Amino acid sequence: MAGKYELNRRRLLQATAAGGAVLAAPFIRPAQAQDPIKIGAQGVSSGSHADYGRQIQMGARFAAEEINTKGGIMGRKIEILYRDDELNNEVALKNARFFKAQGVNFMIGTDSSGVCLALGPVLPELDLIQIFTHAATEKLTEDLVFKKGIKHIFRGSVPVYQDAILPALVFKDNMDIKRIANLGADYEYGRTSWAMFHTTLKKYRPDVEIVGETWAPFFTADFTPHLSALSAKKPDLIFATPWAGEAVLMLRQATTLGIFNDIKAWWQCMGGSVDVMEGISRDVATGKFKDKLWATARYIWNWPDTPDNKAFVNSFAERWGRLPNYSAECTYSAVFALKAAVERAGSVKTADVIKALEGLELSTPAGKRVYRPEDHQAVYNVPAGRVTYNKEVAPIAYLTDLKVFPAADYFRNPPFS
Amino acid sequence: MDGWTTLTKAGRQTRLAAAAWAALAVALLTIPLFGDYVIWLTANMLILALFAVGFNLLFSFTGLLSFGQAGFFAVGGYVCALILLALPSLLLGVIGGVIAAGVVALIIGFLCVRHTEIYFAMLTLAFGMMIHSIIWKWRSVTGGDDGLVGVPRAPLEIPGVLTIEMADLARYYYFVLVLVVLGIFAIWRVVRSSLGLTLQGIRDSESRVTFIGLSVMKYRLIAFTIAGLASGLAGALMVPLGRSASPAIANWTFSAEPVIATLLGGAFTFAGPIVGSFLFYIIKEIVVIFTGYWMMTLGIIVLALVLGFRGGVVSVIQDRLLPLLARRHNDQGGDG
Amino acid sequence: MTFDALVYQGLIGVSLAMYLWLLAAGLTIAFGVLGVVNFAHGSLYMLGGYFAFTFYLTLQMNFWLSLLLAAASGAVIGSIMERFFLRYIYHLDLAYQILLTFGFVLIFADAARIFWGGIPLIPPMPEIFDSTVPIVGRPFPVYNLFVIFVGIAASALLWLLLDKTNWGETVRASASDREMAGALGINIPRLFTIVFAFAAMLAALSGALGTPVRAMTPGIGTSVIIDVFIVTVIGGLGNLPGAFVAALIIGLMKAYGVLLFPDADLFMTYLVMTLVLLFRPKGLLGGR
Repeated sequence: MAGKYELNRRRLLQATAAGGAVLAAPFIRPAQAQDPIKIGAQGVSSGSHADYGRQIQMGARFAAEEINTKGGIMGRKIEILYRDDELNNEVALKNARFFKAQGVNFMIGTDSSGVCLALGPVLPELDLIQIFTHAATEKLTEDLVFKKGIKHIFRGSVPVYQDAILPALVFKDNMDIKRIANLGADYEYGRTSWAMFHTTLKKYRPDVEIVGETWAPFFTADFTPHLSALSAKKPDLIFATPWAGEAVLMLRQATTLGIFNDIKAWWQCMGGSVDVMEGISRDVATGKFKDKLWATARYIWNWPDTPDNKAFVNSFAERWGRLPNYSAECTYSAVFALKAAVERAGSVKTADVIKALEGLELSTPAGKRVYRPEDHQAVYNVPAGRVTYNKEVAPIAYLTDLKVFPAADYFRNPPFS
Repeated sequence: MDGWTTLTKAGRQTRLAAAAWAALAVALLTIPLFGDYVIWLTANMLILALFAVGFNLLFSFTGLLSFGQAGFFAVGGYVCALILLALPSLLLGVIGGVIAAGVVALIIGFLCVRHTEIYFAMLTLAFGMMIHSIIWKWRSVTGGDDGLVGVPRAPLEIPGVLTIEMADLARYYYFVLVLVVLGIFAIWRVVRSSLGLTLQGIRDSESRVTFIGLSVMKYRLIAFTIAGLASGLAGALMVPLGRSASPAIANWTFSAEPVIATLLGGAFTFAGPIVGSFLFYIIKEIVVIFTGYWMMTLGIIVLALVLGFRGGVVSVIQDRLLPLLARRHNDQGGDG
Repeated sequence: MTFDALVYQGLIGVSLAMYLWLLAAGLTIAFGVLGVVNFAHGSLYMLGGYFAFTFYLTLQMNFWLSLLLAAASGAVIGSIMERFFLRYIYHLDLAYQILLTFGFVLIFADAARIFWGGIPLIPPMPEIFDSTVPIVGRPFPVYNLFVIFVGIAASALLWLLLDKTNWGETVRASASDREMAGALGINIPRLFTIVFAFAAMLAALSGALGTPVRAMTPGIGTSVIIDVFIVTVIGGLGNLPGAFVAALIIGLMKAYGVLLFPDADLFMTYLVMTLVLLFRPKGLLGGR
């Protein structure tokens, strides 16, 4: 009795074949000229740093909407695809290949320095350009682009020079600061920025002394042991690298220990980030930081005071209900940089766009950005400032007493010895 | 096909299962036709399958739940990476990674196997995280949180005999496929051997095994080390794929992947972890398209599996699907 | 290294230990009575913190009330976990119970993201704690003293509860012999729910206690559980005084580690755990 089960088996095989065809279909369709230009964005959407991924999405989508209402790039609309990289190399690499299979033309984003160092070398294989918009390690541009010649890498956001070398310029003339200490995030970014900072400062001020160094791993919930270890050494300046959520709780804990009574200044790398400003606003308003908290970011919404920037900030806030963080602005500007490069090159081919991006000068909300050809790093100015609060000016804390230095003064240059 | 009708129901099921495995084998061999992303995904699935089979040797066949296998995966991966960065030989890298993982598993196993169930789960988790923290801190060797990048996908070289370049992703995929199959086959042999029987005996009744004069600790340690070797091999295969190693592969949340995969596919079966690994990736890829909340989705799936489907997908297939397909149309469900 | 610095740092370490102690107490009690190790215990800490934040800041409630309500919310979630999920699998291998609680870890992590988002949240410090007291000539935060007080008070209350009340006797009896206790007429299933909820409450309280000084993020659940496990292993699984001692040891080590060995502090906790396992495998004070 052959009948029924053979039918069952045959149907099973047919279903499998059909299923396979359905799965494979997206990968077989040929691209056409009026198809949208697809940009793949990656950022962190999970865990303590989830806000940064969201800001990357907001910035990218905002740029895409703006460009699309004006006709797109060479008549083609922009489509943004976003995936969470979970601050994880393997996931980021998988996402990149997924984007490639989806026909993405360019990539932007990436928060983590570790991830960008793993992604960078794969870009030539994928034949995709990525404009990195947060990851700060100098190795991305100094090693991978300049020394190893991986031309597919560009960075649209200021690197670690901003957090580490700029403060040396800000504080070098303050003769009250003689004893410096570090509350470091115990990973590459924390180590490199501290090293760059004290080396640079000592060049200007050989009299400055390092009196304390502590290191806190990722996901430290309680910095009080670190803070009390440092305060015992009576530093004048504390240089701190834990960022995002950790910065908020670290600063709160510092206020409970009365640290801001004794120090002359606290430098918070990336303290100008909107999520940190939101988190500490109340303490700033009640004067807990005694006007001693200084910070910078990779863009601050209240500088430069240009009509372009104001328009961007206002329409962004209207669209998303929050002020733009630096990751949003950097991603927004990265999309516009791609637009400018594609238009300049007249094509979306990777090799052509690389040439067009090199040396590109772009007017962005953060000011003029120049993608220098030596290491594909965007050069633009971001000030340092003192954290303050004034509800007439903004609903959250912001930076004032802005110290602007030309980026050329603190960006390292080839040959990067 | 006359033979089909004269088989018993069980015989037909076995044939169907064999056919399914054959289909899987064909599918795996033709994966490179579907482009880099699919190759990448499948390679990861295979690596997880090996990882999970090793885990399952401990869990289902020895009765030990380990949440720390990622530690050995990471040791295998990092040692392989360090070797490849110094010496471009894939063979040495993989062998070195496997041996290192085995040694570490032996040491940690020694401290853990004398403890039972709950303690064992907690300890393995803690030791796994200890490896994670060593990798994180020992920046001069492991690159800290940046990890090791630029790891070359070195050629497979047996001096004087052959040299196979691995730069092409499809080629490396086949290498992974071969080694995963070998690794899984080795564990399958262990399970079917007298060692495997002893382990299952320990799982079922420690006291009886001790009565017949066997050392429970020794056998547990052997199983733990084999699982460690398998995890190390999986890790060593993963690193040249992405050409990087990062501390995330030592995190206990990564240790949870083989656990979920095994549960999903069906614990207490050999094929369960393999099926579960493929499903795990497919589910995650699909879920990620619709929502960012894949952790919650997986969590709900875990709850459903533990509460209602402890046999996992394999038991659903074995107990329901295969009999359905194997039924003759005038069968009353008997043995025909 | 001055004596003063050691005293100050030690006190910081004790306040760190109190958070761990509350967590470990809950885990130990749940294990002692139900025989289950709850992997989601750290997630309950996280939820406790988030709830306290919502009550205190979003709903503008009184700080004390927020702490209590947050702890109570933890108890509610714990009882739901036990009554509707854990209870159905007691007859199964212990591994499945662990796996079930792990499923909850995943769910809670994303639930936190859904309800509270990824932005770090920290409310204002309640005014009565907003000051410092001089200890060895340095300003010591009053809030940390409060945390130490809560930890010690909790120990006293737990001891009273478990040693001096009828209910406590019931709990201890069920912990040492479940079947006998059941045979003597104790409603074991109901007791289990209550004990599990109680343990969850302690975890949530620990999280809530951190509200003014520790911002909550969705990732904290999976990282805090490691510390708790280490404390429990060092103290001895099921041993409550052991958990207290172990929490103190770990808290002090973290504090002194940062002061004296700034590069190795994280590793030291694992080292101590390994040493204890080698020489006293049942924990410092013995366990199950």
